[in-house]
Amino acid sequence: MFKYLLAKNEDIPHGASAVYWGFSAIVWFVIGTGLGSFNAAKLAFPDFVTGYEFLAFGHMRQVHVHAVIFGWISMAFGMAMMYITPALGNTRLWSEKLGLWNAFLWNIGLSLGLVVLWAGMTSGREYSDFPWFIDLYIITFMVVPLGVNVWMTIINRRTQGIYTTNWFFGAATFMLAIVFTVGNLPEFFHLTGLTEAYLTWWFAHNVLGLWITPVAAAIAYYTIPKVTGNPLYSHRIGHLHFWSVVVFYSTPAAHHLMSAPLPEWLKSFASVEGVLILVPAIAFVSNILLTMQGKWNMFVENIEVRFTVTGCLMAIPLNMQGGFQQTRAINWYIHGTGWIVAHAHLALLGFSTFLEAAAVYLGLQSMMRRKLYSLTLANIHFWLLLIGFTTYWVSMTIAGLIQGAGKIYEVPYIDVVIAEHPYMIARWIGGTLVFVGNCFWLYNMWMTARAGTEVPQGRMPHELAYER
Amino acid sequence: MNFREYKVGARFFALALGGSMTITLLLPSFDISSVSATEVALDKQLWAGHESGFSLDDPLLLGWHRPEKVILKTDPKTGQPIEATTAYVYDKGTPFPGGVLHPGNLGKVSERLSINEGHINEANKDQGAVFLVRSNDQKQYYIEDATVTRGWNPEQVLKAAGDSNTYYASAGKSIFVREGCWWCHTLLPEQTQDWQVFGAPPMLGDFNGESPTAFGSDRKAPDLLHVGSRNASKEWLMLHFFNPRLVQPHSIMPRFDYLWGKVDANGKPIDYDKWRKEYSEYTEGKRIYPPEVPMYASNSDARHLIDFILNLK
Amino acid sequence: MGWSFKDPLATLSDDETTEKNKKLWERELLGGLTEDNNPVPVPVVWLVLLTVITAFLVTFPLWGQRPTAELFLPYVQAMQNPEVMNAKNDDEAMKAIEKIVSQDPNANHALLERHPVSMDDLRMIGPQIEALKAHNEHLGDYTVVGPNVVIANFEGNYRPDGSRIRQQPWWDKGYTIDLFYLSYFFLAVFLMIKRLPPTTWQPRHGHVED
Repeated sequence: MFKYLLAKNEDIPHGASAVYWGFSAIVWFVIGTGLGSFNAAKLAFPDFVTGYEFLAFGHMRQVHVHAVIFGWISMAFGMAMMYITPALGNTRLWSEKLGLWNAFLWNIGLSLGLVVLWAGMTSGREYSDFPWFIDLYIITFMVVPLGVNVWMTIINRRTQGIYTTNWFFGAATFMLAIVFTVGNLPEFFHLTGLTEAYLTWWFAHNVLGLWITPVAAAIAYYTIPKVTGNPLYSHRIGHLHFWSVVVFYSTPAAHHLMSAPLPEWLKSFASVEGVLILVPAIAFVSNILLTMQGKWNMFVENIEVRFTVTGCLMAIPLNMQGGFQQTRAINWYIHGTGWIVAHAHLALLGFSTFLEAAAVYLGLQSMMRRKLYSLTLANIHFWLLLIGFTTYWVSMTIAGLIQGAGKIYEVPYIDVVIAEHPYMIARWIGGTLVFVGNCFWLYNMWMTARAGTEVPQGRMPHELAYER
Repeated sequence: MNFREYKVGARFFALALGGSMTITLLLPSFDISSVSATEVALDKQLWAGHESGFSLDDPLLLGWHRPEKVILKTDPKTGQPIEATTAYVYDKGTPFPGGVLHPGNLGKVSERLSINEGHINEANKDQGAVFLVRSNDQKQYYIEDATVTRGWNPEQVLKAAGDSNTYYASAGKSIFVREGCWWCHTLLPEQTQDWQVFGAPPMLGDFNGESPTAFGSDRKAPDLLHVGSRNASKEWLMLHFFNPRLVQPHSIMPRFDYLWGKVDANGKPIDYDKWRKEYSEYTEGKRIYPPEVPMYASNSDARHLIDFILNLK
Repeated sequence: MGWSFKDPLATLSDDETTEKNKKLWERELLGGLTEDNNPVPVPVVWLVLLTVITAFLVTFPLWGQRPTAELFLPYVQAMQNPEVMNAKNDDEAMKAIEKIVSQDPNANHALLERHPVSMDDLRMIGPQIEALKAHNEHLGDYTVVGPNVVIANFEGNYRPDGSRIRQQPWWDKGYTIDLFYLSYFFLAVFLMIKRLPPTTWQPRHGHVED
């Protein structure tokens, strides 16, 4: 891969950057979930690895969070954009070279950022923990170049139309740049107090709502029609989905601070908008499931479809939680408890990871023109992810309900900690299963590159029989 | 808006995103910027200082360029006994907090009083300054620069207060941020039931000038906003930080023994390996008592963090 | 860009635009993908409508989460009752107070039940509540936290006299903005999808005329 960094753009084979992004994403996923498993072990067994500042929970938690958000999820998005955007425009990527450099700088910047966070150099703002010089790097060398490549590819398309997936890709990269810049204003200009607190959560909400959720959904809009061969069920529902994401998902930031003294009208506004995130969710789920008509056998037989549809089904509980847990009627009970941790993992490890995993499976096979090395390993990966995640989600949801009850019945806090202990162990087991599954995945994709059966021109990888 | 017509769509997109940002950023900014700083906010920003997260003044969050909070019982200039007075000491080169740099953040009344009565606009970073929180007859609070109004300079004040009346709360807050305490301990009692245990939720103006607010969102441990009112025992906190399970067997808090540094209060090297071995023997039932926790040195991170915790009233 | 309002629920485009759109739709293969022109399913429309209604209903503040000074006022007033003053001990005094308040139609019985207090509590908060009442303060704006009666930290609407309501109001400008915001959204999306060819027509993918 590195030899192409200094090659001429024309000499770089089609898809090289997608492959680089894809493998980077999988490696970050292994690192991120490994860190997650390690952190969970520390919560279950507090004396597990002790006495080293750099292995303390408080130094590692944010490294886990940013490794999965910016490493795994965002790089898998980059991967999807590198091969889906040109495919939908019947063209080639605007610049493979920019794509490669972008991934290279992304890996460098993220490694630097994580080391900085690990050392404790943090802005102290959740989700925008990176200090401002890393933020500037992310905007300049990570987010904007990705956007430029996507926008230029869309502009230079050879179709008149832009398919739904590309609306999302183009808009989400643009919105990410805006959100990143505005959300970090408190660090650039030292804004303080409630402004700082509110912008912290404005950023945290919108980086999920305008980047992770729409791009993950956009990927499903590609994988399902592509692999099943069905037309997308409805162009109209696509409109409803896209516009409701931009309009409704960008507004409820204040619902993260329902218990802070923000103006009440802002909470009322945000809370209504927060329930309305169900609109894009309804549109997305209905469109994808209706597109599956007549091809439901592929849900069982095909690994990409199985990942995508599972992720899509997870959008239902995800948005039911997300819509209602932020209202005044429910928020007071579960705010700040493990319920929210479970919800966040449902969004990132459930919904979006499953959709991206499908895109990475499909993209790596198509771009390398190699059939997946082992379907068995892929199945093991799927089930370890699903079982591990479900264990995690169920145990943290229960722990959250216990915490909520402890909070309102004024139970001494230590009793809550004792009651949660079994669920902390279950969470650690669940997280570890996910980590193990990802190690299998990395091996499987590596072997696909080395020893996968070649896919002939004009065929889809899943149309070929497995040889082993 | 034809099928496959994107000019209109792009304009709609700009309208939608711009509208959303107008409502969620511009409109609340009028409300939030009109909030006046409360007494709590004046105290908090003066003891916490300019920035507790990453900044060029303290890039590694080691407690460089930090103010100290002191309780004065004698006038630092004359040596005469005075009523106990809280002063915030900004040594030479220590950046001033938001309210001093931008008095507009304090709210109209406090801004006027802080400038006219408190002379904060005359504070000079190169010389350092000593600030006080004062109030007039109408209970209106403002900041006073005692270096200008009373001629107190930072060294004198620190000397007059003495080590036992000096709180390194600002350095402590940066350790709170650096060590990720706020991943489990929130600083925001909620507006519903849980404030009966953790104390009253903060009021609207209580955060002016504070950065970062570090509310925390994922509470796995008690809220700490008012912890200094519940527990003011340095000995308990010392044991608790060294190894939480010495005082609370079921705690899942990590050990923060590394905040003690290399030496204890007497300058003797701390043998962590020996301590951990003896502690293991204690947990296995081979010892009746756990090993003694070394007293922290007066300039250690542990001291700073404990000062911060005691300061959270 | 021709508009037609003949049959607005079918399409808002004139025939010429519709024909152009149909041709393009059938001709175009976007990376091998195609799209159908199915309507937004009726259950989805109902679900969206239900979501909007639910959003408002569920967001209105939950009343009575916290004990306010107003809540305990009947208790405090009952403390002056001779029956209570002459009670032998605190337990009996409390019983007497509860009996008196149970006949008070203005007291919030359901909430009082959830926030039980003892005579000791009442002795601490009683004078504070009476002092507030003497100053004609809005008692609903004050919250009882342990032994203290403090002003609540809500920033609600303004009263006509300029003071701020320190309670969650059932309606504020946030909801008003929401109403307009939603209306614009649904109007815009309706216009947008009704510019497409009517749903009675489905594209024959890959079909190219002339």
